[in-house]
Amino acid sequence: MELTDNELVEKVRAGEDDAFRILVERHSRPIYRSAFRITGNAADADDVVQEAFLRCYRALASFDARATFPTWLNRIAINCALDLIDSRKRREGRIDGGEDLAQLASPDASPDRLLLGSEMQRAIAAAMAELTGNERTAFVLRHFEGMPLEEIGQILGTRLNATKNTVFRAVRKLRQQLQPFTGSLV
Amino acid sequence: MSHLTQEEFILNYYGELDSRAHLDLCDECRGELTRLAKILDQVKPAEVPEPDAGFEERVWNRVSWRLRGEKHRSRGRRATWMAAAAAMLAIAFLAGVFVTRRDTPGPQIATTTTTTQPNQPVQPAGSTTQQQRDRILLVVVGDHFDDSERVLVELTNLKPDGEIDISTERDRAEELLASNRLYRTTAEERGEENVATLLDELEPVLMQIAHAPSQVSADELRSMQKRVEAKGLVFKLRVVRAGVRSESKLPKQPTI
Repeated sequence: MELTDNELVEKVRAGEDDAFRILVERHSRPIYRSAFRITGNAADADDVVQEAFLRCYRALASFDARATFPTWLNRIAINCALDLIDSRKRREGRIDGGEDLAQLASPDASPDRLLLGSEMQRAIAAAMAELTGNERTAFVLRHFEGMPLEEIGQILGTRLNATKNTVFRAVRKLRQQLQPFTGSLV
Repeated sequence: MSHLTQEEFILNYYGELDSRAHLDLCDECRGELTRLAKILDQVKPAEVPEPDAGFEERVWNRVSWRLRGEKHRSRGRRATWMAAAAAMLAIAFLAGVFVTRRDTPGPQIATTTTTTQPNQPVQPAGSTTQQQRDRILLVVVGDHFDDSERVLVELTNLKPDGEIDISTERDRAEELLASNRLYRTTAEERGEENVATLLDELEPVLMQIAHAPSQVSADELRSMQKRVEAKGLVFKLRVVRAGVRSESKLPKQPTI
């Protein structure tokens, strides 16, 4: 019979590293998907998965099963992604792949075509890249993952009001950046 | 009638606030929420590329490799501290003997003097202490030279071919490095010039090995081997160690 996550965690705590291998194999893909949505690229998502499992292993002693293992691991991964975005922003000023919005929103481009085409997606990616790590993470969790603001606050370590403000700032920035592309709709 | 704020529109869009009662009555707010929704509805998650079939195994290999490295380094650090502690104890012992003897009060010297046979040359207490200290230092350093020689010989005997695992030599060098520094300082203080010079030459070589990755390329290994050979370290270690060994066993000629 397949062991549950909690049973595997107990085995790892008892020194059975092979049990950790099962946890890694079981949860790598969901973590990768979550990391990809935040970081926006496969290489970073790969790094986040690896880092998340390392942090998870080191912190297993503190896992108290109040949250399920996947939720707990996902929180670790989100924080890893956030750290990665922040450190990259500090180093480079912006996330890789972030394109100049002014270029994307050239007057020659028809808003209708942009809306339906891949350029809109590129514009969204570029607009997302303009967000800070916290704004991007909070927005992804609220907008894509449908996570309640309170839970986002727990992950980011912020109070509810601060979390709300982070999401508000993210939406305002996105709206401002995407306005040129959605002009015909608004 | 007051309208909804921008923040309330966002909360309504995400279902974190229910302002339907107001929205049903207010065309302006309903219009604004629609405009916001039209923009946010366009923001869809980028398609996540599905990782290949070997993804899980790759993740595990990298994670387990790093965890092994961490455990290894942690053990190495522990061993280094133990080696350093052992060296410190030896040095503390030497210093202790020195201080105790130097502070020996007069009557004890008198006793020593009275028990001395008339034909025997009188050996000052300070001189005996110096000899004891030097001998202990030489014994400890002799062992250190033995261990260092073994590491260097093992390293020079490795075949530079492909990726070479030098983790054993690296960990050993890391342990020796901590003691090397302490012995060198002590040897300098004691005026053991030959020993101090060799320890000084040994230190950067041990450092290079200790700071190397566990797997090195053939070129990196060749560079380390060249450094050891260029300095003639193995030969010097043998010569000085032989001298140190005989010196530590032979009773010193008493000085008057």
